[in-house]
Amino acid sequence: MEIDWKSYTPVLIPNIPNLKDIDVYEKNGGYEQLKKVLKQKAHTPESLVNLVKAANIRGRGGAGFNAGLKWSFMPKPDGGTRYIAANGDESEPGTFKDRVIFERNPHLFIEGAILAGFAMTITAVYVYIRGEYRDQINMMQKAVDDAYKKGYLGKNILGSGFDLDMYVHSGAGAYICGEESSLMESLEGKRGYPRVKPPFPAQKGLWGRPTTINNIETLANVPLVVKNGSEWYTSIGAKTHPGPVLYGISGHVNRPGVYEFPTGMLITDLIDKVCMGMRGGKKVKAVIPGGSSTPPLRGDELDGVRMDADSLRTAGSMMGTAGMIIMDEDTDIVDVVWRISHFYHHESCGQCTPCREGTGFLEKTLIKIRDGHGEMRDLDLLLDLCTQMEGRTICALADAAAWPVRFAVTRFREDFEKRVKKTVYALA
Amino acid sequence: MSEIFIDNVRYEFEGKPMVLQFMLDQGLDHPFFCYHPSLSIPANCRQCYVEAGTPVMNRETGSWELDENGDRVIRYFPKLMTSCSLEATDGMVIKTHRTSELVKRGHKDVLEFILMNHPLDCPICDQAGECPLQIQTYKYGPEGSRFEHKKVHKPKRIKLGPRVILDAERCINCTRCVRFTEEISKTDQLTIISRGDKNYPAVAPGTEFDDAYSLNTVDICPVGALTSADFRFKARVWEMNQTPGIDITNGKGCNIDVWTRDNLILRITPRYNQAVNDHWMPDFGREDIRRMNENRISKPQMKLDGTSIRSSWNNAELSVAEAIAGAKADEILFIGSAFSSIEDNFALTKYAKSVGADEVVFVPNIVKGSGDGFLIDDDQYPNTNGCRLLGQKELTADALKKLLAKSFKVVISLEDNLVGRGVMSSEDLNSKYFVYFGSNNNETSAIADLVIPISNSVETPSTYINVDGRAQRTTPAKETIYTNRRLNLEMSVGRLDRFGTKFDNWVNDKNRVDCIPAWEFIERVLTLQDKQNGYESSEDLIHELASTNSSFSGLNYNVMDDEQGVVLTDAVKTKAKTA
Repeated sequence: MEIDWKSYTPVLIPNIPNLKDIDVYEKNGGYEQLKKVLKQKAHTPESLVNLVKAANIRGRGGAGFNAGLKWSFMPKPDGGTRYIAANGDESEPGTFKDRVIFERNPHLFIEGAILAGFAMTITAVYVYIRGEYRDQINMMQKAVDDAYKKGYLGKNILGSGFDLDMYVHSGAGAYICGEESSLMESLEGKRGYPRVKPPFPAQKGLWGRPTTINNIETLANVPLVVKNGSEWYTSIGAKTHPGPVLYGISGHVNRPGVYEFPTGMLITDLIDKVCMGMRGGKKVKAVIPGGSSTPPLRGDELDGVRMDADSLRTAGSMMGTAGMIIMDEDTDIVDVVWRISHFYHHESCGQCTPCREGTGFLEKTLIKIRDGHGEMRDLDLLLDLCTQMEGRTICALADAAAWPVRFAVTRFREDFEKRVKKTVYALA
Repeated sequence: MSEIFIDNVRYEFEGKPMVLQFMLDQGLDHPFFCYHPSLSIPANCRQCYVEAGTPVMNRETGSWELDENGDRVIRYFPKLMTSCSLEATDGMVIKTHRTSELVKRGHKDVLEFILMNHPLDCPICDQAGECPLQIQTYKYGPEGSRFEHKKVHKPKRIKLGPRVILDAERCINCTRCVRFTEEISKTDQLTIISRGDKNYPAVAPGTEFDDAYSLNTVDICPVGALTSADFRFKARVWEMNQTPGIDITNGKGCNIDVWTRDNLILRITPRYNQAVNDHWMPDFGREDIRRMNENRISKPQMKLDGTSIRSSWNNAELSVAEAIAGAKADEILFIGSAFSSIEDNFALTKYAKSVGADEVVFVPNIVKGSGDGFLIDDDQYPNTNGCRLLGQKELTADALKKLLAKSFKVVISLEDNLVGRGVMSSEDLNSKYFVYFGSNNNETSAIADLVIPISNSVETPSTYINVDGRAQRTTPAKETIYTNRRLNLEMSVGRLDRFGTKFDNWVNDKNRVDCIPAWEFIERVLTLQDKQNGYESSEDLIHELASTNSSFSGLNYNVMDDEQGVVLTDAVKTKAKTA
């Protein structure tokens, strides 16, 4: 399978000046899909859900779950309020793709959210944006205001009788509020503690009502699917994980940035061709493919690894948010893992014991190794702690904290061994 | 009926119980911290792990799929499950630490994490001895810790409110206290602040934790993080005797445990009774320890030329007998008390009848609007319903004043601070011989001509009928001069009582009050005239009452003990009538 990425034209963030303005967006075919669905009745809610399900848009927030399938979990409308919470709380180190949508093409997302709202008979959409994105929140608010003025939001949208409100909500600086259930708690004005599942958000979400949580980028894909059909969408990129994706590439490459390309790109292509190679022509030491929580890959094991769920799983990592961090041969892996560990220690909400205490234990042990006081047994301790944390908590933050450590220690063990005291205790 | 297999033993269940609660109901020991049967289930301590699996259903035949040995095919959950939030389903298979090494390891792992930043100051911690963390660490914990780093330090000795003090380092963030204020007392005064391993419970800036039920959070705290400002550093748990009792500061009659050492009540904690108070009680009920310990009347006292002097019991008995003999039947007023027990009120009522007085009156102490609809009732006294059922006449304060204006020579009142409550004053008692049965010095005892010191609810078995018509009784927790813990079978005997000696620091005869129950005093007065009823214990009175008064039929101490109180249907009817 070869991806024809060189002739690919961006659709999520097309190269059109001032696309963020509603007039420019409309001139370039914006809100046409909404009109097609609401005015010309091109779709019923059911057929829209089925279309998105067939397009196999896999969630861009990290888990990679089929968005249409998620929509179909919503119970039948009972006349009460139902919500979409659009997750723009991207706070994971290495992830900065939604930001580009807020800045460059907010109306694509808004149109997608309205279409999703129509498909699931939603009454309100909350756009939860990370609090540090102050400018982007303002941009988004302006875009929403414009959409209200043009009648794309509010009561009786385009004369179809369909009502939808959209609220832009600012986070307050907690990474955990990007987890879907703590995002809902945060929206309700509570402390951002993830909820125990079941019940799932589709049954009991915001204020106990059916709720669907989708990533910003996921919803931005919806108008494209409605416009071009599901066959077009599934023909882009990898078969099992199709569609355009925003690669947020950072690290020691010559041209870091956000690039829109199909899924299934070779990591080596992304580094060597898209980002014009490594800084100073150095060798790649490690690649974190999808945000800091995904297991790092070794630079010398990148051949043939593609950026899609299946290929990355075979390689021993995950697609995550496609926020890639590329590190060159001068990188100190112990330092990197310590820094990632510090992040998770700082961001653990403290609800579940294994994560609250385990993240601190990991960080303190890594500091010990980093400062040269570590011993060989500390490496086994790190792996043991990861076992004690993985899959033992309400949400996945403990896994996210444990995996980078586990896979760094197993895949870059020589780096760790160099840093620890070589203590050999004779038994006799 | 559905079935569940726990450690290869088959149990049957109905409905949809949670696995942890089901195991606890079956008497199976299982560790947990954050779970509390009366609160919501957050599943955040992650201590109650089990391995769980469900049998595979064959969709076509509707029966379980079987393997080649004819056993059911079990599909296990890929992760360890928290049993507190796991709903039991038909055919579920549960493996606990008894059969699964993985679960055993899981319990150890979580305890290692919890103990990592815990200060381990058990030797100076109030909770030691009754600490779930301590107990479960002994049972399920790791042998040691691999944590070689500096612990996280958090604030200590934070005064959250007037009654509760927080040691944030000991806190394991189970959120029981937060959920209590959210779900039970509904004041939302507590929350967890900060994040990760730095978080701990706190109140909002500028507010304090002055919830009327705040001390319940101390009880449900699974570690020593929340301590009672009053009880802090007073006693070790294992030095105290724990005795069941009833809270008599309110008409609700919360079930309590009374904790004693050296014949002093050191603290009161709620005792579980689903029908009355669940696991909770209001804070002021716990402050009742002052009334029980302090300002007690010891030895009878009489007024001689305006000054109060101590008297002998003999003298007091003769004085009462003489006063009664010297007055006509309609010149004696008997005042019962909704504050006193059924036993004492019954003895007084019967005595009044025997001397020919036509009725016993009482003045209830109901403050409208003071209740909160939860565990604090408008009725300030524990036994209003009891007085009604005994046939005492319910009077308002004004009616009593009017009655006292009549030409009574002798007024005999059971413990009820009528003067302090403003129901009557010393002028009302001018030229009357006032006999007062009381356990504490107060405004009423100060003006009485004769004060008989009586045992209170923690010194003698006392029955009370609460606002809902439930008869409940106390057991003696505290010795008087005339009782002895080792001889009285109803009194709890602690480890130190059993194994300590007279010469220990722990056991002594201090703080014993010279008093007897009111019924016993009346019995002694009657004995002087050879008219005694032959009562030997307070239970005899209840037996007689049950056989002579149909409202109390079937009532005895055993049934009250076994069923955590008995609802008297007549009392419920009376309540309906007055309401």
